Amino acid sequence: MPRPPAPQVRTVSKGPSTALIGGVVVLVVVLVAALVWAATRDPGGLDSQGTGSTLPEGGGVSLGPGTDADVTQIRIYEDFQCPWCGVLENSIGPALTEKIEAGEVNVTFQIMSFLDGSLGNDSSVRAANAALCADDADVFLDFHAAVFANQPQQEGAGFTDEQFLRWAEEAGVEGEALETFGRCVEDLPHTGYVEDMQTRANQDGVTGTPTLVVNGETVGNEEMSRLMQDPGALDEVLADHS
Amino acid sequence: MTSAPTHAHHDAPAAPAPAPTPPGRGWPDAVGLVARLLLGGVLLAAGLFKITDLTGSVQSVVAYQLFPYEVARLIGTTLPVVEIAAGVLLLAGLLTRSAAVVGGVLMVAFVAGIVSAWSRGLTIDCGCFGTGGPVDPEDTRYLSEILRDLGLLALAGWLVVRPRSPFSLDGHLPKGR
Repeated sequence: MPRPPAPQVRTVSKGPSTALIGGVVVLVVVLVAALVWAATRDPGGLDSQGTGSTLPEGGGVSLGPGTDADVTQIRIYEDFQCPWCGVLENSIGPALTEKIEAGEVNVTFQIMSFLDGSLGNDSSVRAANAALCADDADVFLDFHAAVFANQPQQEGAGFTDEQFLRWAEEAGVEGEALETFGRCVEDLPHTGYVEDMQTRANQDGVTGTPTLVVNGETVGNEEMSRLMQDPGALDEVLADHS
Repeated sequence: MTSAPTHAHHDAPAAPAPAPTPPGRGWPDAVGLVARLLLGGVLLAAGLFKITDLTGSVQSVVAYQLFPYEVARLIGTTLPVVEIAAGVLLLAGLLTRSAAVVGGVLMVAFVAGIVSAWSRGLTIDCGCFGTGGPVDPEDTRYLSEILRDLGLLALAGWLVVRPRSPFSLDGHLPKGR
């Protein structure tokens, strides 16, 4: 006699299968990753408006005879909360200002703001915005020097709007212009351009500050530490890269 | 083992079929649990640090000088999501083997990236837990970063071979695929 067919073994399903869970997880991860990627994307490219002195496409604040002029072209990548940027500015800043005003060099300040993320505040973006407000008031260099001269003792303590106002006032902004500056500091109209400057720096491959580029050549570590210690080394370093 | 030893002459009625080793017994289970928690915890922490500082995450990838900017941005923004997902799955013990494969592949990629940066003479922080980028030559920690990632790779390898461990959701899923 043939054996009767074995009863069908029925698997008791207690919940979703591994494959289903796996599929859902992969879908969620892909969706979230796409959202994060899209949220940090600048859809229009680097098209934010800067000030009268800024280069297009987040190219920084350019002061001097211009990027086309036949003079030494200097690019400084910096973050207002970066202590070594402060050391560099406090050392060679005055000499650079003189050279800019004499029309001997053109300096482009590429102001980055990545330190906000690691320090957990928003002072880099706010200071960069305020520096552009200062450029609107024609006092960029004085304001820029004041921010670095007054960096907090403790990295990460940041800056206040009151400090920005005081430094603008000390740079000679007064009356109606000072009120305009105050509104500019508060309303943060330049954050789009500030973000573009950060992106542009990364597109240039710069990930650390301060980075100094003279006529297209990045100044090396040894020369950088000389510049930080001795403002007198500036002429020599500039000549080396001309 | 907590079950009392059974004596041969003890005439128990129809001894129950020996149950499969219950979870939580034996050193392999302990290793599996530790591997899950360590690898999962590190991946989750690394992902959380990066996703709360996406600018720094992207910049850390740029610092390796391996990819064009848009590719670096794609990696810097999506990597933290993958790390968090793999980390959470490992901590929960859900899809342990697949999550461990992902973790292992990430570790291989990280080691390759760090070795590449080291061999090209770059002086960067790995950016493993957020903002990396250039550091002073005497401040690089390539060897310890590589050893840490190789250790995590070993844990991932264990879980790929033997994903079973106590306190895992996998243990509650219907058997069979």
